[in-house]
Amino acid sequence: MEYRATNRRKVAFVILFAAIAAGAFFLTLSFGVYDISFSDSIGAFFGHLAGGYVDPTDDHYIWDVRTPRAIGAILVGAGLSVAGVVMQNDFKNPLADPYTLGISSGAFLGATLSLVLGISLIPALSGNTATVVNAMVFSLFPTAIIILVARFRRMTPVAMILTGIAVMYLFSSITQIILVSATAESLSDAYQWRVGSLNRVTWDSLPVMLAVDVVMILLLWLLSGKLNVMYAGDRGAQTLGETAQRIRVVTLVMASLMTACMVCYTGTIGFIGLVGPHVARIFVGSNNRYLIPASAAFGAAFVILADTVAKVSGANGLPVGVICSMIGGPLFIWILIRQRKSAWL
Amino acid sequence: MKAEYRRGILLKVAMLVFSLICIVLFVGLLSVSNYEGVGLMETYQIIWNHLFGEPYETGSLYWWADRYIWNTAMPHALAAILAGAALAVCGAMMQSIMTNPLADPYSTGISSGACFGAISAIVMGLSFSTVVGEMGIVTNAFIGAMVPALLIVFLSQRIHMTPATLILLGTAVSYFFNSMVTYLMVTTDVDTLQSAYLWQIGSLDGMTWSSLPFMAVFTIAGSAIVMLMASKLNVMSLGENSAVSLGVDIQSFRLYCLILMAVMTAAIVSFTGILGFIGLVAPHLVRLVIGSDNRFVIPMSMAVGALLMLVSDYLAFQFASIPVGVVLSVIGSPVFFALIVWQNKRTGAIY
Repeated sequence: MEYRATNRRKVAFVILFAAIAAGAFFLTLSFGVYDISFSDSIGAFFGHLAGGYVDPTDDHYIWDVRTPRAIGAILVGAGLSVAGVVMQNDFKNPLADPYTLGISSGAFLGATLSLVLGISLIPALSGNTATVVNAMVFSLFPTAIIILVARFRRMTPVAMILTGIAVMYLFSSITQIILVSATAESLSDAYQWRVGSLNRVTWDSLPVMLAVDVVMILLLWLLSGKLNVMYAGDRGAQTLGETAQRIRVVTLVMASLMTACMVCYTGTIGFIGLVGPHVARIFVGSNNRYLIPASAAFGAAFVILADTVAKVSGANGLPVGVICSMIGGPLFIWILIRQRKSAWL
Repeated sequence: MKAEYRRGILLKVAMLVFSLICIVLFVGLLSVSNYEGVGLMETYQIIWNHLFGEPYETGSLYWWADRYIWNTAMPHALAAILAGAALAVCGAMMQSIMTNPLADPYSTGISSGACFGAISAIVMGLSFSTVVGEMGIVTNAFIGAMVPALLIVFLSQRIHMTPATLILLGTAVSYFFNSMVTYLMVTTDVDTLQSAYLWQIGSLDGMTWSSLPFMAVFTIAGSAIVMLMASKLNVMSLGENSAVSLGVDIQSFRLYCLILMAVMTAAIVSFTGILGFIGLVAPHLVRLVIGSDNRFVIPMSMAVGALLMLVSDYLAFQFASIPVGVVLSVIGSPVFFALIVWQNKRTGAIY
């Protein structure tokens, strides 16, 4: 009886935050540098959907700029949070996040090559597309190296994390070599890229993000039983007839792919991938069947709200990552204090 | 059994001696100047002479070399040794008390606090104290670095502090400070951003004798205390339950360790900037070779940390424009990578 009630509470958490995310989606359309009232923005949005006449300026800002950005926020929030759940679960380490295996440093190297040195992996491309492709390809290098090493050597989760750190340092030191000799302007460009912002998200970037996000989250959710078994420990997982290492590698690759797809369009948005899962875990516990949807819902709601604040702060808006950590840091401390026992241990 | 134990001791002593010899070698290499006829051997001779012998005739070749060595090379080399040793000790201690191989001296948010302090000085010229100018950056960084530590001390009265909570708290604090840093960096002009970025990477350039006493006092006193606590740290790394049953008051012990580490780390990073890598990797390098007994890991980490730092500083010096923090990770990470992948089966059981 009590078990049922707890489960109902978990489902309620998911529904609540999904609803908040949906509400925030409409709210965020009216926020930004271009001034428009809430009802006008809603009107413009549904007007465009229904194919009616919309004022061209309104249409441009609402449909071409803010709508893809809002969808991007939801996808990034959900995707990074779920990737964080998988990493923390696979490595049994509360400090793991989507970037633990070095994805962020790989992506940043790729972006820096394009932004500072003008090198594109595919010579035909240039400008923003080159940056995206570079970031995407380079972000998968670290994971590939780790998976490759893990194929030939028996590796414990800790050894995998440490390998990830080694690769991350290697990549970021190469990036730093490029950056310390860069001009102040191109350093600034590269730095802005790394901070991570949603203002680069357009309709063109959404199909890839959406497809990867939805497919990966669904697959990971279907695998949640196996993830749970692994959380119980490798020894336990082996006796239960699972090859822990194989599940670990498969889920890590999935989480990495998803993260890479987010990062190459937005830059490295931190915080949510680490903290989203922890907040969700405090409310719904460590069962991945609930934890994955709960993290996705919380992450989506949090990022879209943070982006709404980000758009109206400062003179021309701030990167969403700044707002995420500025609000989320104290919030997280407060949650840690309030909670009686650590959800992790 | 006994023979094997002996061999283990021998290995440890050999590694320590080897690191010390290398440290002496690199101090010499760093001090070799561009003066004609002053090679490595002459450099040692000059250093020896300066300490125990007569001063050289003013204006002579050796006098110039002596001036260079004493005013430029030596503060640099000593700063490298102190920074390397202090950060490595803090890293080793942190990994033991947190029982987490990912922990490093910056895990409780010290680096981001220091960064915020320094960068607010660089970007806004804001000083938290009455000190201004170059020293304003240092004092700001030091004060900033203390904030996360104080916060943790304050909060530990209210909540039960497990290692996981502590690390998460540190992460939350550092995210907060990082967001402020990012805010300052994206709103400032490109040139200020560049100098702030260079501070973050960490460098030993511009080290003078005046900054050394401060670093030295904290490093030496701190490391001595850590060394005395080594066996207690061993108990801690067995895990919470074992530590309690062996009679360690883990809550307060952990807190003392954290405060000690915060002060030591702050004393270094406020002068050098955020030198990453060393605090995380030096202890691991040592453990991968000699196992995880803290009584040996701590002094060895100091030696290895100092050596790594010196080597990187030497190389950074050769390729003039690259800061030492970058060189550190360029040479350190492949070594680290290789050690993890080809772990020694006998001592490698730790991971």
